[in-house]
Amino acid sequence: MIEFAEWLGTTPLSIGVQSRSWLTPLLQSIHILMIGVVFVSILVVALRVLGRVRTDESLAAVWQRFAPWFWTALCVMAMTGIVLIIGEPVREATAMSFWLKMALIAVGVSSAVYFGRSLRSVAASGVLEASAGARFMAVATVVLWLTIIFLGRAIAYDLEVWGSWHIGA
Amino acid sequence: MDLTGVVEALHGSGLSEWLRSSLKAMPIVEAIHVMAIATVFGTIFIVDLRLLGYPNVQRSFWRLHQELLRWTWGAFGIAVVTGVLLFMVNAITYYNNTALRLKLVAMLLAGVNMAVFENVTAKSVATWDKGVPTPTAARVAGALSIVLWVSVIFFGRWIGFTKGYDFSIPEDVQLDFEFPG
Repeated sequence: MIEFAEWLGTTPLSIGVQSRSWLTPLLQSIHILMIGVVFVSILVVALRVLGRVRTDESLAAVWQRFAPWFWTALCVMAMTGIVLIIGEPVREATAMSFWLKMALIAVGVSSAVYFGRSLRSVAASGVLEASAGARFMAVATVVLWLTIIFLGRAIAYDLEVWGSWHIGA
Repeated sequence: MDLTGVVEALHGSGLSEWLRSSLKAMPIVEAIHVMAIATVFGTIFIVDLRLLGYPNVQRSFWRLHQELLRWTWGAFGIAVVTGVLLFMVNAITYYNNTALRLKLVAMLLAGVNMAVFENVTAKSVATWDKGVPTPTAARVAGALSIVLWVSVIFFGRWIGFTKGYDFSIPEDVQLDFEFPG
């Protein structure tokens, strides 16, 4: 994987990104704005499960309202993320934070898909809201996405953060 | 207004030195800063969209405002604390950083925009809270807020890329950009 990353760093595409000094900051800025959209979408839905906001709407209605933003922003993050990786492939490939982040994103995306599906029926929405596990899951989901944010920032400090668990070249 | 004395004091403080010397402190401070600004921007964005009438004006604006802005303020507090710590560790460099200055100006303008909205435009909220289009002043406030907070994020990111390193190439040096292998 690291050899692939090293090779990727020599391709015209990668050099194209590396040589345009404004591109990575631009992509990162868009990435951060999208973090705001993704995270707050999750936060609002979690707060609804906890009965703190939008209790004039069903949980299903709240998810319906925020899911399109969540998924669209996540797509934009995937696209900006891929170009960011192409620009600095070895940095990402050698970062424990990067791989953990990808794993947790897979968990977060799966859980969002599962959540959306279980809200399909109106009755299920009411059942889900009332379930004991729902409140725990709401908090756990927020913590999950906060951890993903942390790991994203930690990529730049992977050695300091992980010490001997940093993958390195 | 010359704040170099204050800036140098911040830079030389015990806290600042500890932060610089600690391996893990700054990554953690930065990560918390990102979590906080994501929350600030995301919540403000929702309120601003509602001011612009998106997706609709069916739900009460004031309810949305009350429920979300407490999170905005809490997150903003965390962003300020972490932001001050971030500034401190390299205070002298950041004080002279254009992106940082523009970011603070943008935040100030966002604050003025908000103050005008809260103290003037929002006084009439009962007449436009739900079911009717929002007044022009509200839409202007919403649009300005989005533009300003997006710029805050962009300027903020640019600080890290314009930290004052001098990369200009000396005149008598030939650089070889041929990649090996």
